[in-house]
Amino acid sequence: MIDINPKNILIRYNILVESDMTPEEVAEQLYPTDPHILQVAKAVFEGDEDEVVAALQNTIDSGVDPLSLINDALMAGMEVVSTLYDYGLLYLPDVIISAQAMIEGIEYCKEQSKQTHESKGKIISYVVEGDIHDIGKKIVTVLLRANGYEVIDLGKDVPVEEVVAAVKKEKPIMLSGTALMTTTMHAFKDVNSRLLASDINVPVVCGGGAVTQDFVSDYDLGVYCEEAADVPKIADSILQGLDIRKLRDTFHKH
Amino acid sequence: MSVKRYSSMEYDNFEDLLFGHSKYPVKTGLGLEIGAGYTTAEINYAPRPDAAKNKATLVNEYERITRDIMERMVQVGFPSVVLETEHVQQMTNNPTWGGEVATAQKAIMEKYHDEYGIKCALRHTVGDIRGDRESIDLRGDAYSRILESFEQVASSGADMLSIESLGGKEVFDHAILRNDMRGVVFSVGILGALDVEYIWQDICSIAKKNNVVAAGDTACAQANTAMFVAGGLLDFKLSHSVASVVRAISASRSLAAYEAGAIGPGKDCGYENNIIKAITGYPISQEGKGSTCAHSDLMGNMAMQCCDLWSNESVEYRGDFGGTTVQCWGENLSYDCSMMNTALEAGVGKTLRDVLMVSDRYRDPQAFILSYDNAYRIGEVITAHPDDLYLRAKEAGMKACELIESGSAGFLELSKFEKATIKKAQNDLKSLDENMESFIDNCLDIYSSEVDTFNPSNYGL
Ligand code: B12
Repeated sequence: MIDINPKNILIRYNILVESDMTPEEVAEQLYPTDPHILQVAKAVFEGDEDEVVAALQNTIDSGVDPLSLINDALMAGMEVVSTLYDYGLLYLPDVIISAQAMIEGIEYCKEQSKQTHESKGKIISYVVEGDIHDIGKKIVTVLLRANGYEVIDLGKDVPVEEVVAAVKKEKPIMLSGTALMTTTMHAFKDVNSRLLASDINVPVVCGGGAVTQDFVSDYDLGVYCEEAADVPKIADSILQGLDIRKLRDTFHKH
Repeated sequence: MSVKRYSSMEYDNFEDLLFGHSKYPVKTGLGLEIGAGYTTAEINYAPRPDAAKNKATLVNEYERITRDIMERMVQVGFPSVVLETEHVQQMTNNPTWGGEVATAQKAIMEKYHDEYGIKCALRHTVGDIRGDRESIDLRGDAYSRILESFEQVASSGADMLSIESLGGKEVFDHAILRNDMRGVVFSVGILGALDVEYIWQDICSIAKKNNVVAAGDTACAQANTAMFVAGGLLDFKLSHSVASVVRAISASRSLAAYEAGAIGPGKDCGYENNIIKAITGYPISQEGKGSTCAHSDLMGNMAMQCCDLWSNESVEYRGDFGGTTVQCWGENLSYDCSMMNTALEAGVGKTLRDVLMVSDRYRDPQAFILSYDNAYRIGEVITAHPDDLYLRAKEAGMKACELIESGSAGFLELSKFEKATIKKAQNDLKSLDENMESFIDNCLDIYSSEVDTFNPSNYGL
């Protein structure tokens, strides 16, 4: 069997760009300082559901309002996770595991509080008609929930009619649609025209394997984005008042 | 039909693994013999979105595709070709559509065969339509339709039968996004293998009845999903070492089709086929640099090392500067085959094999474990536990970890992150249950509650 040193044949760029610091070391620099909140944020970072609840309980016992912890502690922890993911220091499963712990934490805070908690906003998430590729949608959904949004998950292979009916009923701030096939992604256009026909101007954020920026730019409500991790950022921008044109300016990168 | 587990390797030595040669060549179609000393291109295509409107437009589209390919093959002087029709949903859902497409394609292929003597064969890959919107029902109505579709294509001109089966996918999707090795072993090694074994007994009966070839399956829905989430070198989504472990385990799943009677060539997108060939001696189809029209991978040359058919995965039918896409990609694949066949004739096949393999061996852990020597080693641990689906899957995963770790003492460079994840995967696998019974019991508990769509009765559990 032939064997040779590959150094003149290929370059493992992932090793070239790897940071000297561990994710934990970088996270240390980003955590909030309040010791109670730090404990919660760390537990979110580590993705330890039991620890998240224990830390929340400690903090609540010390007299802090449970609902305020959603933003101040849980979200703060998730921020650290998102930042490290953007830096390429954390991987998708780390984010999903933290997101799950975060979602448990939100539930716990809600249970502990007498008042009702308003989510940041309602979002409909779905995979287009004819398409069953749903892993990307699952990722998007978990990330949105972990960022404090209420997600109506319509599932996969969702008929256009059903999407439109759900929009009318739920009045979401945006839609997150996934399509993996060139043969199915045209359903976005149908959703777009059906919504426009009813004078509904909600952003239809589209992503998934087959989808391209050019394709999405072609219909009025379309906003394109590549990365699941950017979907909560788009939602945040919508809350800050960005309209579809501005969303495109910010998130269309090609 | 019964299931016969592999307890030993059909190849005695990894040095004997080579493209164009298999221990048990498969005669099929019009004069073709796969793995009998030469390689053949396998061209795979998708109709344009509008073409699936109705049966007539679809049949017409496949006729054009078939004619284009056959024409280009004779224009450039290639001696053999395989066509693979991967069903669009409508074709499996309406079994007669698939049958009519097969008839139409075969008629054109026969014409070219009669006129020019070109050796050719037609594979039909039926769509796995068992997962609907709400749930997965592996053994219900949709399954009957799949079998009906196999009947139709087998009796209408398809020479080889395949499917990309879904079994285990619901638990796998959940597990892979959480780095959950227990879920990976359970979904791929147990659930997947049980499903593959179940459906392939039926497919093999249909193949036998119609005198066609039960070719084989792939762990696309599992191992390729992991590979795609893992992505390129700079995609920080999933550890490439974890994707390698999934790949190794997936060989145990795909093997179940051959244990139920399939005889190859296994499906192109089953990158685990290197391991399958080492175990079974059956020919395989593979894809790599010729499938960049469909996706990118990190082993484009290496994938040729032991292939018998050389495929492009799938390309949408349309015009390109050099002809239609099926002509361009088909020509590309066939020139690759020419090169391999020349090397075989000249007696330097193994040298070319090694050049192809070494050029990618150290590009990524996924390539490293599929290099033919390492693929063989994974095959050995799978066959060491013939009567225990659990152990053979777990041990295959452990072997991948061990290979990557020892590789990193040599030319395989690993990032700190990859080193850490491989350690973790190893520890997670090591700490799993001792035996299959308790493993399955535990998993049934865990995943019945964690995964909504998981229904053990789909697997006879
Ligand atoms: C895994 C897979 C499957 C699995 C799906 C498992 C599952 N639960 O999803 C199974 C085996 C079931 C499958 C089936 C089929 N598949 Co398939 N499949 C793939 C494969 C290999 C990987 C897809 C994947 O999971 N990627 C990883 C995920 C994480 O990526 P993602 O979904 O794109 O999501 C990421 C981003 O896009 C983004 N994102 C996702 N959603 C959103 C939303 C928004 C708003 C934003 C901003 C971002 C975003 O976030 C994610 C992370 O970054 C692709 C290959 C490829 N090149 O894509 C083929 C592929 C998509 N499949 C294909 C085909 C043809 C099929 C079948 C028709 C095959 C058949 N004959 O049966 C069936 C389809 C059945 C149907 N009606 O849908 C073709 C599609 C060709 C085309 N026409 O475009 C592909 C491209 C393969 C190919 N090259 O031929 N498949």
